[in-house]
Amino acid sequence: MNIVKSTIIGAACAALIGIAGTSPAYADDPEVFKIGGVVPFSGPYGIIGKGMKQGAELAIELRGGKVLGKPVEVTWEDSETKPQPAVQKATRLISSGAQMIFGAASSASTAALQGITEQRKIPLLVTISADDKITQANGYRYTFRTSNTLGMEIRMAMEFTKAAGLKKIYAVGADYAVTRDGLEAYSAAAEEAGVEIIGVDFAPLGNRDFSVIIDKIAKTDADGVVLIVTGSDGVTFLKQAGQAGLGKTKTLFGPVLQDEVLAAAVGPDAVGAASGVRYHYSVDNPANKAFVEAYRAKYNEWPDSFAGEAFDGMSWFLDAVDSTNSWNREEWVKAFEGSVRENSVEGRKEMRACDHQALQVGLWGVVEKGEAPYPDLKMKITNVFQPEALFPECAE
Amino acid sequence: MSTIVIGLSMGMLLFLLAAGLTLIFGMLRVINFAHGSLYMLGAYLSFQIVNVTGNFWIGLAIAPIIAAVIGALMERIALRPVYDRDHVYQLLLTFGFILVLDEAVRIFWGLEYKQMYPPELLSGAIEMFGSSVPSYRLFIIGFGVAVSAALFFMLDRSRYGMIIRAASGDPEMVRTLGINVSLVRTGVFSFGAGLAALGGAAAAPLFPIELGMGFNIIIDSFIVVIIGGLGNIRGAVMAALLIGMTRALGYSYAPSWVDFLTFILLIGTLILRPEGLFSRKGRTA
Repeated sequence: MNIVKSTIIGAACAALIGIAGTSPAYADDPEVFKIGGVVPFSGPYGIIGKGMKQGAELAIELRGGKVLGKPVEVTWEDSETKPQPAVQKATRLISSGAQMIFGAASSASTAALQGITEQRKIPLLVTISADDKITQANGYRYTFRTSNTLGMEIRMAMEFTKAAGLKKIYAVGADYAVTRDGLEAYSAAAEEAGVEIIGVDFAPLGNRDFSVIIDKIAKTDADGVVLIVTGSDGVTFLKQAGQAGLGKTKTLFGPVLQDEVLAAAVGPDAVGAASGVRYHYSVDNPANKAFVEAYRAKYNEWPDSFAGEAFDGMSWFLDAVDSTNSWNREEWVKAFEGSVRENSVEGRKEMRACDHQALQVGLWGVVEKGEAPYPDLKMKITNVFQPEALFPECAE
Repeated sequence: MSTIVIGLSMGMLLFLLAAGLTLIFGMLRVINFAHGSLYMLGAYLSFQIVNVTGNFWIGLAIAPIIAAVIGALMERIALRPVYDRDHVYQLLLTFGFILVLDEAVRIFWGLEYKQMYPPELLSGAIEMFGSSVPSYRLFIIGFGVAVSAALFFMLDRSRYGMIIRAASGDPEMVRTLGINVSLVRTGVFSFGAGLAALGGAAAAPLFPIELGMGFNIIIDSFIVVIIGGLGNIRGAVMAALLIGMTRALGYSYAPSWVDFLTFILLIGTLILRPEGLFSRKGRTA
């Protein structure tokens, strides 16, 4: 192929890509409302995808399966808990006509999705990733998070530290950027509150042996251990700490340490561990009662945090879309930012226009033994923190 | 002193995780990427057996046997036809095993974490040198010593071990002596798979049982195999203890340098003694 031919073909391809990339932000009257669900069904957060899918599907079902008068069609893809597959699959879904993307779970995957959704001007609904950077003032126009930030969970952990009267804290974090930021924020708040951090250890993500760290902690006079870890790291730590009897002398807690799913993996050694909770089925309001009833009727299980947050976010977003009576995605963005959801399953939520972060209450709980029909180990909600105490003003 | 006890337990646990890999790597020259998946399978099988029988020891005994049977089938059906081909075929094949085993585990047990506890006898902790050391950790030290001794005697002192080593070194000569080398290879792979599952069953009370758990141990296992020397059981024990101690002391005095120190050990071995720190010329066990 000579250079002229190559250049012409290359230019033609570039033009086609350009046309696809600048496709209009809305179609006149599509047959279906297509949603691309990019959630983890495998990898370290593989357990999260099931709940997210079930919660989102129930939200769609309870509105008659329709939005803007057209049937909703969700295509689910496995993000594999990795940024690259998440982006590849989201790109394919957008090319197939997805009107919005729902996902992912790990903050790294969600950050990767933000790139493609901003570029293609497609709304991205985030209901679990907690990295504060996902929603920044004047940051991502098409990203909306209806769930917790790590920052608010760190503030809850600090409030718990004070309320429990803990004065000397040993801190353990998973060794990656988000948790290091979290621990730094906790340490700063501790200093302000007169709480002493007497030791800090970072363990690699996916660490298998915490025995030395546990032994070090046991030999200190710390009265509490803040664990800025989640998933299998939290499970491994609590299992090994339980075998060494660490929980008998120190209060173990963390911003995202436990929920029913993780407590079940730890077993009885989880009892007494305190943690921030994203969503809980015991929240006493009519919307949550209706959701829990419908969820149990459909899936015969209690909704976990991932399902509850997915249900709430999806219901809210689709209500905002419906309120515009338009297929123009820019209208959806305008309708969602600044909207207020009085009847959320977690109470009142407000989508802040400046950073597209939902202001909401924060739940804090402790693992306790449950009795039928509840799981064997359940979270008891002990504190409900108001948004004013959890969300700083939007920074310019 | 307590750090040394913990280092011993970390080392012995590493040995249990890596023993199957070093055996298959050393005797068959097969880099078994599916080792982690067989380890995971051992943990799940043990969980299932304990769930049914309520007895930890039955799980620890039966899970490796089931995994050994699966390993024998894997070797007979898939690996045997590619022994004479380039190593890349074996790598691809064992990588394929990972996908199959992971999917099978997902179908049978789902994505939820599973939990297992140490047996009642080993559920407490013992005060030693000013530290509270879990009894199960002490069991792991003793169990690791027993497994390594059994492996050493089997490979180094028994007739079976002699045949395995001979089949590994000069299969044609062994074949002319009337020994079925293919059967020996099947036996070694099966035994290695069983050892991987034994590691999984022994580790199950310490870690969450989850779909990705095999991936977490495979790098550590390869480090043990490389530092210890291919197929060298004594070397694997020494390498595992060296890494365990490095980590225990590292976490005590220089936590940020633990991974760095481990990889320095690995790189140093590859540069200075690529055959393994504890290998001796002319022997493989």
